[in-house]
Amino acid sequence: MATIVLAFPGSVAWAEQPKEVRIATVAHYNGSRPSFIGSAAVIEKQGWLREELKKRGIRLVWVPVAPQSVGATINESFANHSIDFAGYGDLPSIILNAGGVETRLIVPGGRGNNVYLLVPPNSPAKSITDLKGKRIALHRGRPWEITFARLAEANGLKLTDFRIANLNPGAGAAALAAGNVDAFVTLSDAFPLVDKKIGRILWSTKTPGQDWKMRAELWGDKAFIEKYPDITQIVANAYVRAAHWVAQEENYPEFIRIAVVGGQDAEVVKREYADDSISWKARWNPVFDEFVTSHYRNAIYYSRKVNLIRNAFDESRLFEPKFVRQALKDLKLEGYWDTPAVAASTDKRGSS
Amino acid sequence: MSIPVFRWRSPHERFLFLLSPLLVIFAWVWVSRLGLFPDQILVPPQHVWEAALGLWESGELQMHLQQSLYRLVIGFSVGALLGVAFGILIGLSNTVENACSPLFHAIRQVPTVAFIPMLILVFGVEETFKIIIVAKAAFFPVALATHDAVRGIPKAYFEVARAYRLPTWLLVWRIILPSTVPPVLTGLRISLGRSWMVLVAAELLAADSGIGQMMEMGRQMFRIDIVMVGVFVTGLIGFSLDRLFRSLEGRLVKWKHQS
Repeated sequence: MATIVLAFPGSVAWAEQPKEVRIATVAHYNGSRPSFIGSAAVIEKQGWLREELKKRGIRLVWVPVAPQSVGATINESFANHSIDFAGYGDLPSIILNAGGVETRLIVPGGRGNNVYLLVPPNSPAKSITDLKGKRIALHRGRPWEITFARLAEANGLKLTDFRIANLNPGAGAAALAAGNVDAFVTLSDAFPLVDKKIGRILWSTKTPGQDWKMRAELWGDKAFIEKYPDITQIVANAYVRAAHWVAQEENYPEFIRIAVVGGQDAEVVKREYADDSISWKARWNPVFDEFVTSHYRNAIYYSRKVNLIRNAFDESRLFEPKFVRQALKDLKLEGYWDTPAVAASTDKRGSS
Repeated sequence: MSIPVFRWRSPHERFLFLLSPLLVIFAWVWVSRLGLFPDQILVPPQHVWEAALGLWESGELQMHLQQSLYRLVIGFSVGALLGVAFGILIGLSNTVENACSPLFHAIRQVPTVAFIPMLILVFGVEETFKIIIVAKAAFFPVALATHDAVRGIPKAYFEVARAYRLPTWLLVWRIILPSTVPPVLTGLRISLGRSWMVLVAAELLAADSGIGQMMEMGRQMFRIDIVMVGVFVTGLIGFSLDRLFRSLEGRLVKWKHQS
C-alpha cells in the first residue's frame, strides 16, 4: 500500500480532497448581495486562503448567514453536513455538541465581542438589580445569554428573577423602542439604538473586572477535520494570519474600512472597540489558553444548570488546538501573543 | 348541501381512516432504523414520544397549550363575530360594500404574518398583538363567506319580510342567519384552521409561551424532538378543531331546517 501511495502520491491526494470548503459566516445583506464581516471579510480581502485552496483544486465557498438566527441556522447546517466550518458563537456550539453533533473549536476568536444591556433612556434603573421582576428581551440560546446570566449571578440574581421575552435582536430592538420591554440584551447594534435615543447602555462587558464577552470563533465539523487535516490546517492558518494582521495597530484604519465595506457603520465598529479593558493585540489572541478553557467550562456549567442541555460534558471535548499550534509555527508567530491580556490602562482606541 | 359529518361506520372505513397516519409512522420507524439520516435530523419516533412525555410530566406542554388555546378562542371569537357582522352589512347594503370593498379586498390579500412586525411595534409583544393577529386571520374568510351567503339569499325572502314588516333583528335572526348557515359555517371552519396556523406562526416569532414558542425554543436549543412534538400537537389540535366544527355544522344545519 505504501508503495502505491509513494508511486502515485498526487492521485491519492486528489482522490481524498473535497471539491470545496464551505465556511458559514455572519453576513449583512445590502440589497440582494451578502457582504461579510469580521474574520471572513479580512480573509477574503487577503485572498490567501482562496489562492491556497485553488492550488489544490478546491473552491472556497462562504455560506452567508443572516444575523437574526445565526446559532440555529449554523447548527442545522452542521447537522446535515452542508457546511464544513463556521465562525459563530459559544453557546450554540455547546448546544450542538450536547445534542450529539460533533464539532471542534479550531481557532479561538481572541477575547470576544462586547455584550450590552440597554434600558429605555428614561428608565430609573441604575443597575441590573433594579431590573428584578422586569421584562427583558433576550434571544435564548444565543451567546449573550451566558453573559447576561453571569451578570445576573454576580448580582445574586437568576434568569428566573426576570420575565424573559425570547426575541431575536431585530424584534428585541423594536420591543425596546415600543416600550414593551424594560431592557434588551444585545451586541454592538446597541449603539445605533443609543443614537436614536431608543435606549441607553446600563451595563456592558467593557466594565473592568466583568469581562464576560461573548465568543465567536472558528468551528469545524469533526468528521471533516479528521478526514482532511491538511485542508483544515490551511483554513486555520488563514484565520491565524487574519488575527495577526488585525492585531497590528497600523492596520486598524484598514480594518475599519473593511468593516464599512461589509455594511457596518464605522462609528459603531469604533465604539465597540473603544474604552476596553483588554488591549488591542490581546483581543485577537487565537491561542487556546486558560481564558478560553474557563469560559467554556463556565458556559457548559451554566447551560446544564438552566437546562439548555441535558448532559454536562468536559469542555476539552470541544477543542482541537493542534491546528493553531501548527499555524503559529508556520507563520513564525510563536510567542507573539505571550503578553498580558489586560491593558495597562483602558484602551482608548477610536474613542476620539 | 350535505355536510360531511365524521362518524365511525364500518371496520373497513375505520381502517382506511387510520391508514395514512399508520403508513407515515411505519415509514418513519423504518427509515430511522435504517440509519440513513443521523438521529439529530430524523429524530426516531420513540425519542419524540419520550420528549412529549417529558414535556407533559413537567407540565410544560399543558402550559403552552393552554396559552395558545386561550389566544385562539379570544382572537377567533372576536374576529369571527366581527366578520359575520361585517359580512351581513356589506351583503345587505350596496353603499357600505362600495365604500369598504377596495380596502377590504386589499387588506385581505396581505398575508396575516406580514402584519406581525407592525403590530409588535404598536401593541408590543404581549397578548394583544397575538389576539389581533388571530382575529385578523379569522375576520376576512368569515366576512367574505357571510357576504357571499347573504347575497345568495333569494330576493323573495326579503320581499316577504318587507311585506310582514319584520324588524331588522328578526330579519337577521329568522331569515338571514338560518339561510346562510352552511356557507358561513364553512367560512368559520376554514378561518378557524387559518387562525390556528397564523397563531402558531406568530408564536414562533414573538412570544414567551405557546406551542409555537415551544417549537422555536426547541429549534434554538437544537432539540428537534421538541420541535417534532410541537408539529404533532399543532396538527392534532388543528385536526380536532376541524372535526369539532364539522359536527357542529351538522347540528346547526338541522337547526336551519327546523327553523
